[in-house]
Amino acid sequence: MLRRTVLASASLLAAGALLLTACSGGAEPAPTVTGEPDPDASVAIRLVLEPGNLDIRRTAGAALDQILVDNVYQGLVARTAEQEIVPALASDWTVSPDGLTYTFTLREGVAFHDGQPLTPQDVVWSLTTRKNTPEWRDSARLANVETIEAEGQDITLTLTEPDSSLLWNLTGRAGIVLKEGDTVDYNTAANGTGPFVLERWREGDSITFARNDAYWGEPAQVAEVVFDYIPDNQAALGAALAGEVDVVTGFDANLREQIEANGEFALELGQSTDKGTLAFNQTSGPLADVRVRQAIRQAIDHDAIIEALASGQTQYGPIPELDPGYEDLSDVAPYDLEAARALLEAAGADDLELTLTIPNFYSTTIPQILVSDLNEVGITLEVESVDFSTWLNDVYINQDYDLSFVLHTEARDFENWANPDYYFTYDNPEVQDLYAQSLAATDEEEAADLLQEAARLVAEDHAADWLYNGASVVAVGTNITGMPSINVNERLNLAEIAKSNG
Amino acid sequence: MIRYALIRLGLLLLGLFVASVLIFLTLRVLPGDVAQLIAGVNSNPEQLAAIRERLGLNHPLPAQYLDWIGGVLRGDLGTSLLTGTAVVDELAEKAQVTVPLGILSLVIAVLISVPLGVLSAMRRGRADGTALSVGAQTLAAVPVVWAGMMLVVVFAVWLGWLPAQGFPRAGWADPWAALRSLILPALTIGIVEGAMLLRFVRSATLQAVGQDFVRTAAAKGLTRDAALIRHGLPVVGLSVITVLGLQVAGIIVGAVVIEQLFSLPGIGRMLVADVGARDLPKVQGELLALTGFVLVVGFAVDLVHRIIDPRQREAA
Repeated sequence: MLRRTVLASASLLAAGALLLTACSGGAEPAPTVTGEPDPDASVAIRLVLEPGNLDIRRTAGAALDQILVDNVYQGLVARTAEQEIVPALASDWTVSPDGLTYTFTLREGVAFHDGQPLTPQDVVWSLTTRKNTPEWRDSARLANVETIEAEGQDITLTLTEPDSSLLWNLTGRAGIVLKEGDTVDYNTAANGTGPFVLERWREGDSITFARNDAYWGEPAQVAEVVFDYIPDNQAALGAALAGEVDVVTGFDANLREQIEANGEFALELGQSTDKGTLAFNQTSGPLADVRVRQAIRQAIDHDAIIEALASGQTQYGPIPELDPGYEDLSDVAPYDLEAARALLEAAGADDLELTLTIPNFYSTTIPQILVSDLNEVGITLEVESVDFSTWLNDVYINQDYDLSFVLHTEARDFENWANPDYYFTYDNPEVQDLYAQSLAATDEEEAADLLQEAARLVAEDHAADWLYNGASVVAVGTNITGMPSINVNERLNLAEIAKSNG
Repeated sequence: MIRYALIRLGLLLLGLFVASVLIFLTLRVLPGDVAQLIAGVNSNPEQLAAIRERLGLNHPLPAQYLDWIGGVLRGDLGTSLLTGTAVVDELAEKAQVTVPLGILSLVIAVLISVPLGVLSAMRRGRADGTALSVGAQTLAAVPVVWAGMMLVVVFAVWLGWLPAQGFPRAGWADPWAALRSLILPALTIGIVEGAMLLRFVRSATLQAVGQDFVRTAAAKGLTRDAALIRHGLPVVGLSVITVLGLQVAGIIVGAVVIEQLFSLPGIGRMLVADVGARDLPKVQGELLALTGFVLVVGFAVDLVHRIIDPRQREAA
């Protein structure tokens, strides 16, 4: 009953949205920043997905990385929005030529939010505990690390074999530095070293950060950041127009005119590593036939999807443009209905009926396009919209599905194509071997080339279809500067955000 | 009267017990579990097992039920699997939004329905009476969400008088700001519920017009309207109280939808989030508290009805 009410209201909301579209006028936006940045300002940022709890050690989900990493918690190294690896708690690092020894120089004068100074021992403890506690997220990413030792301010990681992904992994959860034996309640509180202190979490509403005045680096430009969790895009639009939020992330680019109407917001489209992935269960049945998978890919009008979303770009392989190993693979499965029909006929798969399982928080745009595109080549698609928990159970764990759609936001997650047990059900030893070689490479370029080779194989096997490479759609108030626009679904570094009073 | 109250109380407790079992069992039918949500994609079975162990999800169902209900009897509605906070605390915090929202909605519904309902009955057959009645029929059919959207467009986006969404972070520290943020949501529920109630008030009034005691009063020299207002309305009032009791459940359901729409951090929104997160102990506690509330309101309405309606007392 509850779910039906909510579902019904969601469709009504969509109807209401259309009406709202009809009512709004269209004025020219004038995005200019006037006035001085206000150091006492409070910035309100609309986010979509609220985390279930704040335990960055154990709980999965991009909602946690998005706000906590960089802003509250830090590692030895960090990454920029452009995905470049830069120093953080370590001022500097060196890698031995054989790729087996990483030496980091820990900054001095860093303190946790509770006032305790950061010691080299905290780093050793954090990384060692992460590595040895399987229940902690990403502990396996430190599998190649044999020892973690400190001498003075130098932290040395010794590896059993080269790992070209190690530095990158250290910029994420695997590298987070916590206080040794901290007694903070990680579920609802935090104690890090970042430019912001977690001040308050009002469940179901908002999370508030305050500036860390004792920060070791350049202090934040605003006194306070408030993340307002507003799942619905229309409600977010209303909040923006009523001046209740300064920045709207995860926005719908189709609503550009409405939010820019009064000139107080400008829409920014940044690149992202979001991959709208249509997974094929290829263990058995018609989708085990590569011709059927190819037919489905060639029957989908990818340009029409980009047009419908009014953002993003096409992507025909597993690696998006921001990640190493990217290559334009559009030649592998071009839109061609005739070819699709011929492939289906050759596979003896006419009158195919398939089910698409999709978590219910995605909009209906994608399923609608898929149903109509596949119908063109004689495939009947039934859409099953389920809540995320059900999706995890049926699709992710039990692999009980035909087609599934999920937006995979993680950067550099090619490993899933090299894991035959993953829900993608893709098993190609050649790809697994190339991926292992890429990890073992000591040269960045070589590692990327090997990934590129593997990615082409995955695309040519039609292991899935990549419907689009999403964009970060962010509406930014014209009095806001320093708001990141790249990959904000995954990481939202607010060290430089500023708000002017003009 | 005391015997009646005791029997009614017994039924209330039985109802609560049945509800607790149903709530517990139906939630277990849902696919998916909180351990998987915590572990997320890219997790392995060992991680899952460790989380289940830590959260006590590997105990058998009857043990879990007894554990829960035992806590409830001691006044402990359980704790969230995700955050470890007590359900009672969360309910108390979220009630600061939902309870005022409910009361405000109810007041608006009554303010709309009672005068207009009586008026529409008294004007039956005339153009304005018909217009009122048709208007109410139409409003009652309006989906709550759509009504809310329209109110936001007019009062928040166009006129800028009231906030479009959210609740002040400081809560009731600034009562005016808090109240302002509840006006549009309460209007949304109040108008739709009020329109439904209006139809009820109208038919109850029409029924009262036909009652012997109203006709007698009229025969004694009062005008028809005066007879209705002096002798008929108290009876209408009684049935309105009963229906209001039933409306409470409707308002809770309305709150679930409206809190989503207006991003209000209330019980309804918390419930939806917790179901999605499969935080079952929390959902159980919340549902039991809500069910208990509706049952207690029904109990109270029955008792009040019995106390003030002389006819029911005589019948007993």
